[in-house]
Amino acid sequence: MKKSLGIIICVFLLCAGPLSAAEVKVGSNTPLSGKLSVYGEGFQQAMLLALEEVNAEGGIKGSPMQIVFEDNNSTAAGAVSAIQKLITVDKLPLLFGPAASSNFLAVCPIAQQNKTILIAAESAAAEISKCGSFVFRVFPSDALQGIGVAELTQTLKYDQVVLTYINNDWGVGLAEIFKKKFTAAGGKILDEFAHDEGKTDYRSEVLRIRKSNAKAVVNLTYIKEGATVLKQAYETGLKVQWLMGSASKSPKLVELAGEAAEGVIGTYPTFSQETPQYKAFKAAWEKKYPDKKIPVFGEYNYDMVKLTAKALRMAKSMAPEDLRKAMIEAGKGYMGVTGDKTFDENGDVGAVYGCWTVKQQAIQDYK
Amino acid sequence: MSYYLQLLLNGVIAGSVYALFAVGLTLVYGVFRFINFAHAELISWGAYLTLMFSSPPVSWPLCLAVIPAVLLTAFIGFSQDWFIYRPLRRGSPITLLIASIGLSYMLRNVLRLIWGSDLMTFSLPLARGFEFSGYYVTGIQLLMLAAALLFLMILYLLLTKSLMGKSLRATADNLELAAIMGVSMPKVSAVVWTLASVFAAAGGILLALDTNLEPMMGVANLIKAFAAVLLGGAGNVWGALLGGLFIGIAENLGVAFFSPGYKDFVSFAVIFLLLLFRPRGIFGLLTGVR
Repeated sequence: MKKSLGIIICVFLLCAGPLSAAEVKVGSNTPLSGKLSVYGEGFQQAMLLALEEVNAEGGIKGSPMQIVFEDNNSTAAGAVSAIQKLITVDKLPLLFGPAASSNFLAVCPIAQQNKTILIAAESAAAEISKCGSFVFRVFPSDALQGIGVAELTQTLKYDQVVLTYINNDWGVGLAEIFKKKFTAAGGKILDEFAHDEGKTDYRSEVLRIRKSNAKAVVNLTYIKEGATVLKQAYETGLKVQWLMGSASKSPKLVELAGEAAEGVIGTYPTFSQETPQYKAFKAAWEKKYPDKKIPVFGEYNYDMVKLTAKALRMAKSMAPEDLRKAMIEAGKGYMGVTGDKTFDENGDVGAVYGCWTVKQQAIQDYK
Repeated sequence: MSYYLQLLLNGVIAGSVYALFAVGLTLVYGVFRFINFAHAELISWGAYLTLMFSSPPVSWPLCLAVIPAVLLTAFIGFSQDWFIYRPLRRGSPITLLIASIGLSYMLRNVLRLIWGSDLMTFSLPLARGFEFSGYYVTGIQLLMLAAALLFLMILYLLLTKSLMGKSLRATADNLELAAIMGVSMPKVSAVVWTLASVFAAAGGILLALDTNLEPMMGVANLIKAFAAVLLGGAGNVWGALLGGLFIGIAENLGVAFFSPGYKDFVSFAVIFLLLLFRPRGIFGLLTGVR
C-alpha cells in the first residue's frame, strides 16, 4: 500500500513538474496564523484579486502568474523559516515580505544575501531603507513623516515650536528630518529634547515645554508616551497645540489621555480615493468579495502584485539582476491605487500625507 | 528659580515612589543577602490586581479594590520565598539571584497571559492639578507623597519600637546567630516579604493611577530602586529611602541641563560610580536596619 502510494505521488509529481514550469511563480511570506492573521487574510485576498486581473490580462508573457503562499505565524522566527523555504526549496526569485516591520527586518538580510527580490506592502520602519538593493516597498517609509509634520506645522502657521521625540532610532531619525525641513523653511525651534521610551513621569519634560512659552509642540512619539505627556501637560494647565505623527494615531491614545488628547493634530500617510485607479480597484473588490470591506493595507498589497507583474513582463530574464532592474523600471511613474510608486535609490516610494485630529473623543480627519 | 523648585518638587515625588520600591528591595537583601529581581513583578502585580478588582465582573470602588490586591501581592511575595527561595537558601547567592531572574520572567509572562501586553488604564477622569503660587501638583502626586510617608513611618515604628523589629534587625545582622538566640525565622521571613510586597504593590498602584499599566512597568522602575539601594548601601533601609529621593531629584533636576531622553543615565551613572568608588554607599554612616 505504502509503495503504491509512493508511486502514485511520484507519477503525480512527474506530471505536475512540466505543467507548473509554464507558470511564473513568486512567493509570499504572509501571516495566515498568529496575531496578525486578522490582517493576513485581507492581504491575501487583495493579492489574489490583483493576481486574477494579471492573469486575465494574459499573465506574464503568455504564462499564468502564481503566488506561493507560505504562512509565517506572525512571528520573526516564522518569517525567517518561511523565507528560507521559499528561497531554498521553492527556489523563487521574487518574494512578498511579511507584515510588521520587525518581521520584515528579520528576513530582509536573507533576501539580500540570496539576491532574491523582496517587496513590502505594509512595513513602515525607516531602517528598511537600508536593507539593500534587492529590497523594495510600496508603502511609504516613516522617515517621510518628518517632512509631513514639518509641512503641517507650516500650514498651520506655527513658525516657533518645541520639538520633542522618542529617544530611539525611529524618533531621532524622524526629528532630524523634521528639523532640516522646518528650519530650511524659516521655522525656529525654541527648545529640542528627546524623551525616554516607556516612562511614567514626563512632568519635568512638560515643565521644560512650559518654560519655552511655545504655542505649538511637535511631539514625535508613540501611543503610550504620547498619552502620558498629553495627560501630564493637561494636569499642569499647559495650553499648546500638539502636533504629532501617525505612530500616535490610535483610539488607544484617546482612551489613555481622555480629554487631554482633544485638539491634537497629526499627519498620516494616505492616498486619494478619487483617482480612476482607486475607483477601478474598489469596483473590482466589490465584485470579487461582495460581502467584505476593503481590508487594512489591501490597496498596497494589490499595488504590489500589479507592479510586480509589470516588472516580470519587462524583465529580460528571471536572473536576480534583471529582475531588480525591471522592478526599478516598472516603478518609474507607475500610478497605482495608492499613488506614485516610483522607487528611489533605496527602493522606497514617496507619499502623500493626510491630517488627523481628535474631536469629541474620536480620531477624525482634519480639514 | 521657580522652574528649578518645580523640578525639585517633581523629583521629590518621583523619588518617594522609588524609595518605596528600594526599601522593600533592601529589606530582603538585608536579611537574606540576595537581590530579588522578581521584586519588579510585585510592582506590576499590585497594579494589575487592583485593576482586576476594580473592573467588571467585580467592579469594586478603587479604595476597596486595593485591599485584596495588596493582600494577594503579599501572598505572591510570600509564596516566592516559601516555594522558591527557601529551598534554595543553602545554595550559593548566585543560585538565588538566577532563580529570582527566572521567577521575574515567569511572573511577568503569567501577567501577559492573563491581561495581554497592551496598555491598560483605570480610566480615571482627567483632572487639572492644584496650583500653589505657580507650582503644580496633582491629587495622585499628593497621594504618592502621603503613601510614602505613611508606609515609611509604619516601617520606622515597626523596626525601632517593636520586638519584631528587633528580631528583624538581629537577623539582618547575623542570620545564624539570631536563629540560635531563638528568633523565629519563619516569622521574620513572613514579615520581611509582607513588607516588601506591600510597599511594592502600593508603589505600583500609585504609578498605575498616575499613568497606566503595562507588564514592563515594574522592570522599568526596578533599575531606579537598584540605584537607590546601592546609594544607601545595600541592606540599609534609611539609606535606600534617601537614595530613592536622591535619584528622583537628580534625574528631574537633570532635565534642566541635558536632554530628558537620557534621564536613566543618572541612575546608571550613580550605580557605576558607587560600585567603583564607594561600594558601601554614601549613607553608610547612618545606622540603618543593620
